[in-house]
Amino acid sequence: MAPPLNAFRVTLVLFALAVLFSLPALQGSGRDLDYGANLSRFLGRFWPPDFSVWREILPALWETFQIAVMSTLFAGLLSLPVAVAAARNLSPRPVVVVARFFLNVIRSIPSLIWALLAVALVGANSLAGVIALTFYSMGYLGKFFSDAFESVESGVAEALKAGGADAIQSFQYGILPHAKPILWSQTLWMLEYNIRSATIIGYVGAGGIGVWLYSYQEFGRWDRFAAVLCAILAIVILLDFVGERLRSQLNPPPN
Amino acid sequence: MKGSPHITLSDVTVSRPGRTLLRGLTFAIPRGSFVAVVGPSGAGKSSLLACLAGLIPQESGGITYRCLQDCSHSPRNFQKRLGLVFQHLRLSRNTSVLTNVLCGILGQRPWWKTLTGFGRQDKRHASELLDALDLGGYEQRPLAELSGGECQRVALARALLRSPEIVLADEPVSHLDARLSRKILGLLKKGTHENSRTVFCVLHDLDLVNEFADFTLSLAKDSPSEWSLQSKVA
Repeated sequence: MAPPLNAFRVTLVLFALAVLFSLPALQGSGRDLDYGANLSRFLGRFWPPDFSVWREILPALWETFQIAVMSTLFAGLLSLPVAVAAARNLSPRPVVVVARFFLNVIRSIPSLIWALLAVALVGANSLAGVIALTFYSMGYLGKFFSDAFESVESGVAEALKAGGADAIQSFQYGILPHAKPILWSQTLWMLEYNIRSATIIGYVGAGGIGVWLYSYQEFGRWDRFAAVLCAILAIVILLDFVGERLRSQLNPPPN
Repeated sequence: MKGSPHITLSDVTVSRPGRTLLRGLTFAIPRGSFVAVVGPSGAGKSSLLACLAGLIPQESGGITYRCLQDCSHSPRNFQKRLGLVFQHLRLSRNTSVLTNVLCGILGQRPWWKTLTGFGRQDKRHASELLDALDLGGYEQRPLAELSGGECQRVALARALLRSPEIVLADEPVSHLDARLSRKILGLLKKGTHENSRTVFCVLHDLDLVNEFADFTLSLAKDSPSEWSLQSKVA
């Protein structure tokens, strides 16, 4: 089997060249700095975390969770029709091209930029966060969902169509049941991802725990900043644990 | 109306990319007949059924269905009145047995009526069919839990739920034991008497062919013109 080996070699050579050309990125300022001392001085300010601000952290963390849940819900609902339009096995080619371009554009805009736009639109509050993350995650879910639809084996839908079922019916009964476990597990993944995103969009005022991250950073209260980071870490670990459990239930191993 | 032609083929050629499978098929099948399609694998049995179902076009010649009002229809226009059992079943593994069977009537209901599920009457009809196929009590089981033979009967129930005028079944009893095969074919045969339904059935077991078929369409491999249609009555 010569071709795969060649492809592998070409990839390796291209990657090696890319590494060579990218080496200047490691140069830094060129000044002789004591990196170790810098790091320990900076991290020293984080310790010990000041958990006395838990009264501020907990409600903000809750708001972050709320933003993530609402934006995942809206993104999931809005993604479905776009994903159908973007799936090659479900829509005519021109529609697919337009839908994919739309999703690519949405996906290429970072969540922080979406947040800036949303804050300009509705002001600095949690609604801005919901709007920002709805659009941001729609770019991902739309792509994931359409891939899921395309991966479904077409036999069942074709059989239903052969019996006279229309496009909606053959989608609902022939494609959707097979894509459903994938859709749910990806939505769950998006929720986890959105919680992480929702922590950062607060930096530009779009609600949630990020608002506190920003203000503690501004006032140099790194001990409190560290407390917020610990809280975020805790919720991410918790979510990862719950998500893993749910996902294994959604996709039982094939027997 | 039993006895009048239900389906007429005139000089039909069936081919798959790069190869002609059947040539010069010309015959008329009377309404209410049980037609067994036999032949070695690769002879074109499944392709012929796909042609009759309007899923692939015939290379040349005409296939005409005749309805009770004596109008002529092409296979594509007749699709809603056909009941298909595919060789590879094409059932939805992630849904229940009942939903799989109910999918058989999708073509006869507008989409907004099936958006939230199926009607009680349809569900009862589906359950009765499952009972008749020895699958009573299987309604809520996920299809993935069923054996090959059980899936085969679910596929048959899906085809029969729509009360088709014509059944095109590709090896519907290949995974069933002798007793169950006779029961299922008996059920199909009963439909030919009671509902003037015409059945095309790919079969391998010659005992079953002799027992049930009114007509036997024999196909040969690699010789497209060597087909023959024998009538049991004659």
